[in-house]
Amino acid sequence: MSFASESTLGDGPLKTMSELVTFKVNDIEVSAPKGMLLIEAVKKAGVEIPHFCYHPRLKPDANCRMCLVEIEKMPKLQTACTMPVAEGMVVQTTSDSVVASQNGVMEYLLGNHPLDCPECDQGGECQLQDFGHQHSKLGSRFLEQKRVFPKEYFGPLVEKEMNRCVSCLRCVRYCDEVMGVTALGSFDRGNGTQIGTFAHGELDCEYCGGCIQICPVGALTSRLSMYENRTWQLKKTDTICNYCGDGCSLILEGVKDDITRVSSETGAGRNRGDLCARGFFGYGAINHKDRLSRPRLNTKGRTLEVTWDWAFNKAAEDLKKIVAQHGPDAVGGVISTHCSNEEAYLFQKLMREVIGTPHVDSTARYGYINALSALNEVFGTARLSHYEDIRSADVLLVVGADMAESNPIAGIQVKDAVRAGAQLITLDASSPERDTYYSHLPSLATQHLNIRFGTEQSAIIGLVKALFDKGIASSAPRKLVNQIKKKVAVISFAEIEATTGLTENSYRRAAQTYAGAEHAVMIVGRGVIQSEGGYQNMLRLEELSILAGQVGREGAGILPLASENNAFGVVESGASSEYLPGLKRQEAKPKALTLLEMIDAAAEGKLKALYLVGADPLRNLPQKKVADALSNLDLLICQDLFPTETNAHAHILLPAASFAEKSGHYTNHEGVVQKGHQAIEPVGGAKPDWMIFSILSNKIKEETTLPYFKLVGYRSADEVWKEAVMAMPNDWQQNSKEAISRHVAAYAEHAEIQYALQTPRASNGVMDLQLGQNRYHAGTTSRYAEGLNRLLDCECVVIHPDDAEALQLEEGERVRLSSHLSGASVELPIQLSQKQGRGALFVPEHFGLSVKGLLPLTIDRESKVPYGDRGPVKLSKVAASTQVKG
Amino acid sequence: MADYELILFKNMAKTGYDGSLKAYQQEGGYAALKRVLSDFSPADVIDEVKKSGLRGRGGAGFPAGLKWSFIPKDYKGPRYLCCNADESEPGTYKDRQLMERDPHQMLEGMAICCYAIGAQKAYIYIRGEFDLGAEILNDAIDEACTAKVLGKDIFGSGFNLEIVVHRGAGAYICGEETALLESIEGKRGKPRIKPPFPAIHGLYQEPTVINNVETLANIPHIINKGASWFAGIGTEKSTGTKIYSVSGHVKRPGNFEAPMGVTLREIIYDFAGGIKGDKQLKAVIPGGASAPFMTPEQIDTPMDFDSIKAIGSMLGSAAITVMDETTCIVWAAMNLMEFFHHESCGQCTPCREGSAWILQILRRIENGLGEETDLALLEELCGRIGGNTVCAFGDAEIGPILSTIKHFRAEYENHIREKCCPLRPKARLAMAH
Repeated sequence: MSFASESTLGDGPLKTMSELVTFKVNDIEVSAPKGMLLIEAVKKAGVEIPHFCYHPRLKPDANCRMCLVEIEKMPKLQTACTMPVAEGMVVQTTSDSVVASQNGVMEYLLGNHPLDCPECDQGGECQLQDFGHQHSKLGSRFLEQKRVFPKEYFGPLVEKEMNRCVSCLRCVRYCDEVMGVTALGSFDRGNGTQIGTFAHGELDCEYCGGCIQICPVGALTSRLSMYENRTWQLKKTDTICNYCGDGCSLILEGVKDDITRVSSETGAGRNRGDLCARGFFGYGAINHKDRLSRPRLNTKGRTLEVTWDWAFNKAAEDLKKIVAQHGPDAVGGVISTHCSNEEAYLFQKLMREVIGTPHVDSTARYGYINALSALNEVFGTARLSHYEDIRSADVLLVVGADMAESNPIAGIQVKDAVRAGAQLITLDASSPERDTYYSHLPSLATQHLNIRFGTEQSAIIGLVKALFDKGIASSAPRKLVNQIKKKVAVISFAEIEATTGLTENSYRRAAQTYAGAEHAVMIVGRGVIQSEGGYQNMLRLEELSILAGQVGREGAGILPLASENNAFGVVESGASSEYLPGLKRQEAKPKALTLLEMIDAAAEGKLKALYLVGADPLRNLPQKKVADALSNLDLLICQDLFPTETNAHAHILLPAASFAEKSGHYTNHEGVVQKGHQAIEPVGGAKPDWMIFSILSNKIKEETTLPYFKLVGYRSADEVWKEAVMAMPNDWQQNSKEAISRHVAAYAEHAEIQYALQTPRASNGVMDLQLGQNRYHAGTTSRYAEGLNRLLDCECVVIHPDDAEALQLEEGERVRLSSHLSGASVELPIQLSQKQGRGALFVPEHFGLSVKGLLPLTIDRESKVPYGDRGPVKLSKVAASTQVKG
Repeated sequence: MADYELILFKNMAKTGYDGSLKAYQQEGGYAALKRVLSDFSPADVIDEVKKSGLRGRGGAGFPAGLKWSFIPKDYKGPRYLCCNADESEPGTYKDRQLMERDPHQMLEGMAICCYAIGAQKAYIYIRGEFDLGAEILNDAIDEACTAKVLGKDIFGSGFNLEIVVHRGAGAYICGEETALLESIEGKRGKPRIKPPFPAIHGLYQEPTVINNVETLANIPHIINKGASWFAGIGTEKSTGTKIYSVSGHVKRPGNFEAPMGVTLREIIYDFAGGIKGDKQLKAVIPGGASAPFMTPEQIDTPMDFDSIKAIGSMLGSAAITVMDETTCIVWAAMNLMEFFHHESCGQCTPCREGSAWILQILRRIENGLGEETDLALLEELCGRIGGNTVCAFGDAEIGPILSTIKHFRAEYENHIREKCCPLRPKARLAMAH
């Protein structure tokens, strides 16, 4: 949110201003949309009005008084940040009275300011410096004693220096108006006014970093980069955040090859300049000391650090050997959904064309593939909705998503929509209560369908059934309507209620609101996508949107949330067992194996070599099984940023470059393709994944008889991109209403719809455990980010305070979770949260492996997605003697 | 002492009058409300108040009827009346007496106003320190609701009115009408940016009228005796009576009700019995702490909104602070600035930073540490506040400073030249902030 680029105004206030008015500023005649704020409108004449409290992302507050201007026929000076421009207005921004007022405000602001610019982290990008330079007279007449506030550490990541504060309240307003978190306020009066938290406690919030970014001066700065550098020495690179699927533009800033800060540009990117804790404070993983830096060979229990050339030769040789002995089908490969589109394209090309195996997959197999293939199956595209649609929708239906934790920036779009008057319907098992200073969308919902744990599938049936007979859109194909009608007719609301705990009325109200909307957007989270029955449940939701007429037209649609930054792009680029580039279904022979099937094949000895790029199946699948399978392999090549449980087994371990060290395209969950640029040289001896694939391909094709089409040798990611784009269908990033309705019609013809109600489950003294994402972490890479570890650095069990009370447990107390199936158990401290559903437990998935072992694993019949994030566990108090204090 | 007709103090001036509903009704109380509900349309009430010429008694003197008429007629949502009982202006203590001694007079006025503007809920924002007042008002509201003169279906007319007493928490700024609204809403009390004005977006963003206690207390009398009777009292443009709160160096400080337009001389020397110890009058503040100082030569000015404005001060709340010849004017200005500095909400730059800086300069001058350039600097600093702030507080805080520099410049210069306060040579004020 740097000042230089504030000209990009959010899309909200200006949307309806089409009529132009002509006005004069400093004798220059210009026109601007009627009602536009003067402070923005004068920019059209190249005039800048100095200001501190005004910010295009916030409602005007007019408290700094720096933007006072003279307007003809008005008796007093007026604040340009609150004055809408009108026809014939005559404005002076440089008249004597305006200049006197500006000099006055500056002298006032600088009076008590410590003028510690030489050591202030804001120095060089400080509005007080910039405007002081332009609008201050030399020297100050302030001879009094300066007011002094003590410097404070404001929580683990923010430094508060109130002597520098200009009381513009941007931080407070951002926290209120954008985040809806209200963690900040101003207290005390007059020039003793300070920014702080309720009851003067430590800052306890989502740590989006918005307050730091929006502060025009050095009052709130990041403790992560305190006193480290001068802002003008930082090299800034635009890139796309590598954590979740929101697709946020961010700017990596660093000196030489060290990233020391992240920022964003107001209004820029899908995130419009907003960031979350992961984006703003999570850059520490890039230059972490544990990054893999040299290729390694593990042979006969010995680890050797080798040169790249050696590693490439060895990998090529071993792969060729296996292909020669067992055929290309004995090789499989899995790529991470954090890799770029270029890399996914090149990887599938390496596997399919250079090696000749059909067995290529990605970590989208852990769930996101459900959304992509279900959407592709029905609509022929997965690009059905954008953030703009969310913000302008009148109804939002959020199913099985905890957006504040998993996708905070997509969550901001929902908050914006609610603020603009949209009705929000949420469907999940969380409680609608909210923890103070933390967002929780169900707390904003007009209807929260608070289902029993794990009953999304049945609740979706409830919604579909409730749509009949009033809510069916005329656009829905008759054949589909009739088929579904027959299916739901045999299921009663009483049965649905017995399973989900929700009455017919709740479903009817929600279904009518959704179907009755002018533009509704459905947002689907991992509660559906990555949970049992994910593929079919996704289809049911799509049918719901078709029946309600809320898809395939302007402003309405479906957004499947991705928890990884390029899940969409990696699959679309072809790194998936069922798809070639462009989501073209492939009919390979032999049948292409999915990730889990490759593990099975390895265990059976059919698969001899596995190439894992950023994939860590030991974390995500039953450990014993995977460990056995991996040890059964003749060749395991791993390519990673950090050492993992899986790559400890690798025969060849290749250090890969992080997103900061390479350029490439990423596709977020909206389907928007964006380019990230290289900020620094690869850390240590790492290489970008695309380069590794390219070189390895060359090595393999040397003196080999394998079939391949042409020489693979790329000089840059851009070169790969040019080729990858050519492999995509025409207009692959577009969708048309016609094409969608054609696909829907075709789907209606061949669809075989399954409606299965889950059976109600008795509690039997067990609690439901869900593994999932925490707002401060994403996957495991974030665990290397110092900033994020300061916010959360250990595993815990989240439980509702009522449940804790009933079990006589206190915050921080250790409990034992045990599986009633295997008898395995884990000890963890508890954390209380109001939003946690009663009877259910939550454990963040970013830490230990053992919790996973408590949960059963099921495999999706169609999509082969392994579901292992949910299940019943027993919770018991740990005997006092073994408790660890704290 | 001239014998003026009492309006607001009439009941309480009677021996034995206890302000109870019964006592108030014995004096004809709630007849006006009853009549309004049966015979008047809301527009009739507004017309009558307009014709009476009643101007707001909180300080700004805005015509009350006109203010009421700004409430959108066809608005479907709720509207509110807020009675501003946050009487915090130093020297002002008239509303307290009106509330404590004759609460129903004000409540009846509120009910009539609510009927006129279509409000069914009204708030009394009462100064936090007014424990007794809040208790009395709450009791009076209960009493009136039980008797069905307030509450549900008043006098069987179908008109409902709920009145809530909301106690402030000690901030002067919450007497500013939009800060008052923020405070009722449970937010930090700081003035809003205007426009929009409260008549359109007021309490909870709904159309709202905010009137002072004394303004509302006048309403029943205007209905009972007619607008032309009221308009006949006082001056042409400042009608009715005014309660003058007199304090300072006078023999008999207190609240005095008299028509608008009596002179300061009459108030000081007649009502208040003259200067204590028969000393010389040195300066007088005619309308609360924010009103510019007046000199003894100006005390024949009639006390009405326009005449006082014409000589460069303001009638304000008509809280008259009298200073005799022993008063150090710089000290007096500093004292007021201590108040304004303490009460500045800190929202906007000129007021937040200006009040602190100005106070520091005044403290220096009073303590003999003034500089030759200080007077010009003070005038400039004040000039940057006036008209440039979010609310009227900015204009208020500079009034005493600019007027004392204007009228008593020699005294300031004397402080600076002699490097001490001539009248309080031993003054040792804390210089530290």
